[in-house]
Amino acid sequence: MLPMLGQLLKQMFTKPFTNLFPAKYAPKNVGKYLQDVQAGKATLISPVPVADPETFRGKIVYDREKCTGCKMCIKVCPSKAIEFKEEEKKIRIYIGRCIFCSQCNDACPVDALHMSEEFLLADTNKVADYLVVE
Amino acid sequence: MISKAFKRALWVFHVNSGSCNGCDIEVIAALTPRYDAERFGIKLVGNPRHADVIAFTGAVTSDMAEKVKRIYEQTPDPKVILVVGACGIGGGVFHESYHLEGPIERLIPDATCVYVPGCPPRPEAIIYGVVKAWQFLEGVEKK
Repeated sequence: MLPMLGQLLKQMFTKPFTNLFPAKYAPKNVGKYLQDVQAGKATLISPVPVADPETFRGKIVYDREKCTGCKMCIKVCPSKAIEFKEEEKKIRIYIGRCIFCSQCNDACPVDALHMSEEFLLADTNKVADYLVVE
Repeated sequence: MISKAFKRALWVFHVNSGSCNGCDIEVIAALTPRYDAERFGIKLVGNPRHADVIAFTGAVTSDMAEKVKRIYEQTPDPKVILVVGACGIGGGVFHESYHLEGPIERLIPDATCVYVPGCPPRPEAIIYGVVKAWQFLEGVEKK
């Protein structure tokens, strides 16, 4: 009993290991809750932080101005998630198809692509506005 | 009362339709004590007839195509498909492969899908997909 007591007391005062993402309890009205989150009235309990933000591979960010339209990213993309827009000589990236390998970032000669920390992506429409990067 | 409980406690039937197992691991990770989706009543069930949500992982191979359709038809309405990973959404790295029947929407065109992109997606992203499914089912209830 006595050796156990220390462990018992320790466990009584430590926080549970569970990350309560996205909320402690399921909200009564999920649609309204998500609207509140966007308006800043409610806050989501944040996900487990990424281990190394420098090398984390999230959603692609595309710098339209820097892009020269050399098609190097299209050549290296293993899942053909990048489409070339002929008239404008720019690219369009479908995040639904992207496998977040960041090979396009390495291939890009003008540094127009990089990976962000954003990874909470889910939608009923796979070509929703924020799932297509232009 | 029953409908109230329904949109909260989603029971998920998980189908591996030709996945590499990466997404399967992440689906299981979402149920571990670290994220604990079971505190909302979301759990994996072993029978599509008990399920509200079908979680498909992987591009659909020609072997699995018939089974995917059958599993979808066995699940009672209203139902939502949770497509986990880039393969089920657009084929991912397996796109244009010779034995591929997928993506999912080509097999089941009129289904409601929640797409979770990633290769594989993080467990939080999968939970976020379930939140989107909640939101959709709320909309169905209002109608």
